[in-house]
Amino acid sequence: MKQFPIRRIAILYLGLFWIACIVPAKQEPFRPKVGEFPPLEKAHSYKGELTFVDHANRRGSIRIDGDGRFRFAAPSPFALLPYGLVRYHGSPADLRDIPLGTVMYAKAFLPPDPKISTVPVLPLDNRKKKYGYAGTGVAPAENHIFLFEDEPSYCKRLGLVWKLKEINLNEDQGIITARRESKSGNGDVHEETFSIDKATRFWRGKEHLHFNDLIEEKILPENGVQSLNDLLVLLGISWKTTPGGVFKRFHISDVWLDELARERAAQIQNETHKTFIKSRWMPGWVEQVEYGKFGRAKVTVTLFGGMNQSLYADFKKGQKAMLASSENTLKHWAGGTAGTAQMAGKGILLEVSKTKKGIPLGSSGIQLSLETNLVTEGFRPGKIIRIRPESWPILEVPREEYIHHTRDGIDIRFPTPDIFHIFPKN
Amino acid sequence: MKVTFFFVPCSLFLIRLLPAFVCALLVHVTATGGESEAEIFRPQEGKFPPIEKAHSYRGELIFVDHANRRGSIRVEGTGKFYRNNPHPFALLPYGMVRYQNAPADLRDVPLGTVMHAYGFLPPDPKTSSVPLLPPNNKDKDAGHYRGTGIFPAENHILLLEDEPSHCKRNGLVWKLKEVNLSNLVGTIVASRQSKDGGGTEAEPQTMTFDSATRIWRGRESIRISDLIEEKVWPASGKKDLSDQPVLLGITWKPAPGDGLSGAFTSFHISDIWLDDQSIEHAAYFQTQKHNSFIRTRWMPAYVNEVKYGKFGQATATLTLFGGMDQALYDDFKKESGGQINGAENTLKHTASHYGPGHMASNGKIIQVTKQEGKVPLGSSGIQIDFKTDQIIEAIRPGRVVRIRPDSWPKSQIPREEYLFNNSPENRFPTPAIFRKN
Repeated sequence: MKQFPIRRIAILYLGLFWIACIVPAKQEPFRPKVGEFPPLEKAHSYKGELTFVDHANRRGSIRIDGDGRFRFAAPSPFALLPYGLVRYHGSPADLRDIPLGTVMYAKAFLPPDPKISTVPVLPLDNRKKKYGYAGTGVAPAENHIFLFEDEPSYCKRLGLVWKLKEINLNEDQGIITARRESKSGNGDVHEETFSIDKATRFWRGKEHLHFNDLIEEKILPENGVQSLNDLLVLLGISWKTTPGGVFKRFHISDVWLDELARERAAQIQNETHKTFIKSRWMPGWVEQVEYGKFGRAKVTVTLFGGMNQSLYADFKKGQKAMLASSENTLKHWAGGTAGTAQMAGKGILLEVSKTKKGIPLGSSGIQLSLETNLVTEGFRPGKIIRIRPESWPILEVPREEYIHHTRDGIDIRFPTPDIFHIFPKN
Repeated sequence: MKVTFFFVPCSLFLIRLLPAFVCALLVHVTATGGESEAEIFRPQEGKFPPIEKAHSYRGELIFVDHANRRGSIRVEGTGKFYRNNPHPFALLPYGMVRYQNAPADLRDVPLGTVMHAYGFLPPDPKTSSVPLLPPNNKDKDAGHYRGTGIFPAENHILLLEDEPSHCKRNGLVWKLKEVNLSNLVGTIVASRQSKDGGGTEAEPQTMTFDSATRIWRGRESIRISDLIEEKVWPASGKKDLSDQPVLLGITWKPAPGDGLSGAFTSFHISDIWLDDQSIEHAAYFQTQKHNSFIRTRWMPAYVNEVKYGKFGQATATLTLFGGMDQALYDDFKKESGGQINGAENTLKHTASHYGPGHMASNGKIIQVTKQEGKVPLGSSGIQIDFKTDQIIEAIRPGRVVRIRPDSWPKSQIPREEYLFNNSPENRFPTPAIFRKN
């Protein structure tokens, strides 16, 4: 009698189950979802030189440091996620605050919704594609940035410092060898050689110095090699073209020699950004809408993260506030002849709550509930809003930072990637 | 009767044609902006236009496409500043940018900086990289409370300079009259006038400042709070500043008073240079940065003349563009070797992937002459004769070239700053990226 092939059937089932587990994982790469902050651990990381900025649409281009020759890499377009954070000099920033040429670190994802991406949509595995001499990794599909930070911000976030090992000066330029390591002395050590020149700025306390000043003080040699004895600093890094045989060497634009100098740079940027947010309002998204009668509703929003704490502290229970719908670019809406405030819903802050633990990057952990008698189409769960507490001034935002309800077309609401034709392709 | 018979249909015919004639006239007048083509001044290829013929305006730098030497500026007109759409501009090939009283590239100027512009109509409208406008556009009211002057057709810029550069060039200073502050935020009343006290004093302006305003004193970078600690400024309230002479960095931030019912456009003070040493210090950094930039991108110039020899040999006479640091011009020495390369109006190099040095023609500087008398803005007044044994298509009278003396390093430039495979859209960028207002 023929035996029932139970073993074969079991193997077949197991095989099918394994395929079922694997195939969807390959077909559905991770993309951020509307209304959820993505985990930073799932981001693709890269660094590069900021080469172009369209700040009104929160996008730009970066020349990415791949495994090839840096100068061959064409600028790669990127967009900031609505809750994407920019940090400069260790403080929150807007894209317009970052000088072109600054080397930035990016943590990025695939476009959450490719149909409305403001930058070109690339094949999923594009980061593995080799672009001639530019090498691989120079045009990743992960071009929607979650965290975008310059070198001092990156070091501060990770508790790192640069230790200067040696300088080799030759008249008006030189080479510095430095090592980046944990302040605590643990962890990985990264050694790198940089160029410096007469335009490199040295910051010491309140002083703003050039390297001739340091030569006069005998801190640096006039010419030749000198040990710098592990001098602890933070560095601002940019990129300048290198002589023919050197295919990649980054450049030191700034050296912060002490804590006071670092704190002062951070404070100036912090104040710049605070004023900026007070005039453009705090961005967030809608969690929930409980509809009442005759246009009334209670709208619960989560404020986006990464701002100065004093801005969040301005949202107080019982205070009046204005809530305006916005877009993924964080642009306001305006109508008629009045400004953005005319389009906003007014109301009272009923609740202000703060999550203490497990706050994901991108979120402030602060939720507000506002009761308004003018709930508009823009206040829907997952949609972006901007909110202003009564204590902030009512100001007019410039023309390119709002969408006019009759004069602007769909292309202003959803900018297309066409602008990036100004750059050659890799 | 015959005469009448003859004239009546003819008059009717003319009357019927009258609307068409009026329309044609209107179209003509609109197209020329009320001026005949003969009256319209456009810069000519190979010549530096007189700055006296430029249209001047100022505004906030909003957008920069530095690789194509163009951008957008929110021009200050007669209406509400915040309502003005950014206005596209292109730099003329010999157009100069100055920042903190030193030569600069567009990429060096922070977005938001208020710049003074001296612009012309596009030299060749067919190849303009920014939108073309009717010649009289500066006189039109743009509507929506924006007023006139905000979209001038003179969008090809000869000189683009920030406030300290503008003041230094014209021998001006800002005299601080009064400060009024509370919680590190406030306003300053100041007027711009001649440094030597001559001339008429300009109408005092009220500008805002805040705790992000940088103050420069000698080599020090200080803040408003430092001035308060030193009792130079009060912690709150008003203080007479007794016409203290300073230089100001000016930007724009939304401020109360901007709205439709507001009374003024208030500019913002980003920087205050309290003394000569501090502005010289700032200019030093910017000059060094620009020197390094030009040494790697090469000196731009016009070809004035080419004398052809045999077997591809030729001597090209060039005029170096102006506005650079003297140290750069000093590097062009008679009998020194060098390289010359074709460029475009955007100053982009013609290159292969091996870099401009690979495509350039080698040769020797056989003569350096310095023009006597008044040198037009845009020109350095320095002519050089460059002898090469590889004369190429791009080295023709009126064309833009870039030249490098042998003492400058052979550097590789980034991908967006050179042309490859001769693609027309990279050679002649179109205005397509700029939206209509």
